[in-house]
Amino acid sequence: MSAADCEPQGTGWGILDDLPGDPMIWVLIFSELAAFGLFLGAFTVARAIHPAVFAAGQAALDPGLAGLNTVVLVTSGWAAARATKAARASERRATRYWLLTAMGLGGLFVAIKLGEYAEEIGRGIGLETSPFFTLYFLLSGFHLLHVCLGIIILALVCRRAEAFGVETGTAFWHMVDLVWIVMFPILYLVR
Amino acid sequence: MTWIALIGLALATILVPSLVPRPLLGNALVLALAAIKGRRIALDFLDLRAAPALWRGLVSAWILVVVLFVWLTSAVVALI
Repeated sequence: MSAADCEPQGTGWGILDDLPGDPMIWVLIFSELAAFGLFLGAFTVARAIHPAVFAAGQAALDPGLAGLNTVVLVTSGWAAARATKAARASERRATRYWLLTAMGLGGLFVAIKLGEYAEEIGRGIGLETSPFFTLYFLLSGFHLLHVCLGIIILALVCRRAEAFGVETGTAFWHMVDLVWIVMFPILYLVR
Repeated sequence: MTWIALIGLALATILVPSLVPRPLLGNALVLALAAIKGRRIALDFLDLRAAPALWRGLVSAWILVVVLFVWLTSAVVALI
């Protein structure tokens, strides 16, 4: 074995180099998935301890509005995937168009969620209403913060619209999408 | 194609609770649909289809562990 065989390949991130975008974003993605997994696990255990409280809390939510938000976020994820494809083909104009579409739909998700919160708060529901609502606001609020952060990241990579940056930004956006897809039925539909 | 599949699965997920009155079966369906949607997002949007099996497996395992834990917990509570 020569000295050259021992030289590190890629950017020095080892097996993370095989993933699209900056390996650092994948460290963040896996950390976020672990955090959301623990949150969802805690919500599930709390539901098992207080089934009646959680059933009453869930009945006060609007699953139709959350379902609409699922359609909005999935469509935004699709637009982000189109942006990645366009960026890999060095089509900057198309990349920016799809990124702006993804950001616009992300903004619509935020607006719908804030409207949902306003309606709930208007009915006197708050963080301290019940254990269900404490965890509901914490979980969905934590996710909403990630949606806002994702929009900022997409806006940053939209400026240069080059493949590596777009792959990095959209990877984070798809993680946000994935978490909502799993979180939505747990908060709104599972009885 | 992935987008159409995801929208169809999302609409089906919203309809399940009103179409399936039995919570155990309804929960299983809703969570199975979530797992299918999550895997499609991981493979086709996150681009893990072309990535090493380790990363595909890790994300798929996260989805499976979460939905299975939720379903098993709800099943245990329903049966007690």
